[in-house]
Amino acid sequence: MGRTIVVTAGKGGVGKTTVTANLGALLTKLGNKVVVVDMDIGLRNLDVVMGLENRVVYNIMDVSDGKCKINQALVRDKTLPGLFLLPASQIHTKKDINIDKIVEIISIIENSFDYILLDSPAGIEKGFESASAPAKEALIVVTPDVSSVRDADRVIGILENRGILAISLIVNRYDINLVNRKKMLNADSVVDILGLDLIGMIPEDKSVIESTNKGELLVNYANGSPANKAFENISRRIEGEDVPFLNFNSQRRGIFSLFRRR
Amino acid sequence: MNLFRITKGTSAIAEERLKLILVQDRSLLPPAKFEQMKEDIVDIMSNYFDFNTADIVINIQRESKKTLLEAIIPLLSVKRKTR
Repeated sequence: MGRTIVVTAGKGGVGKTTVTANLGALLTKLGNKVVVVDMDIGLRNLDVVMGLENRVVYNIMDVSDGKCKINQALVRDKTLPGLFLLPASQIHTKKDINIDKIVEIISIIENSFDYILLDSPAGIEKGFESASAPAKEALIVVTPDVSSVRDADRVIGILENRGILAISLIVNRYDINLVNRKKMLNADSVVDILGLDLIGMIPEDKSVIESTNKGELLVNYANGSPANKAFENISRRIEGEDVPFLNFNSQRRGIFSLFRRR
Repeated sequence: MNLFRITKGTSAIAEERLKLILVQDRSLLPPAKFEQMKEDIVDIMSNYFDFNTADIVINIQRESKKTLLEAIIPLLSVKRKTR
């Protein structure tokens, strides 16, 4: 029985899709069978980030509409056996989504995969709703800025109200130089403010944009890069391994989390 | 630019602003929750006072540095024996 995890944020442009693709890759590297699902119906992107755009034949809406079987829609990754993409549709809009059907499709996939990562669209409307409905766990991607943190807080509130309580925080595009010069929110503050457990920080790293430019997974493009190392640590923590936080002592809950909603 | 002023990092400003913003954001109860809270307040207050439920006004207001809950309950009489 696989673990279904939604990767979400509220705000757009914080790195949900790159996080989904690269975590999927590293969880696969650890020996898991993984499917990454693009839930951004109408604005699909996970395929281009992974460089699989030419292999897409069917998509999740085709499965939902009964036009093909799940297996026909799954795209096998170019390099990693065990990693699959379930693409979004380009021609539909979020209005066309049948949430019950999506939940049913994911529950079938859970029987034959170890991890199902759902790449959520930005926003808190139907697209987000359908991405989080099948999930039992959530990863919140946040960049260290006021708008991202505020939106994340909103999303966390909605997920908690829906009964998703296993929520962890990924601080993305973390610039330790700016943090040290007190020009960027540090991860401790973000953790304190949002009152969640931190599962990892991904440093600002040009190899991330370079790998997506080429449509390659970071693990193939720049295995030794700081960002890839961070993704590896996060995937090992997802697996339950106790991986120490390098350079930071950040896994704590601060005083502010006492004032969390409800 | 004032060279003599010790400048506080902007990250601290971001943190302070966020804490304030989120207290306000989180206090916005959804309508169902708000009605529930109103009923709870009526329940508790009715142990001590007589009043018309219809007269009650409850507001959540934002001020610059804090968020206030204001409840106006015109009382008809005080109950002799409180539970």
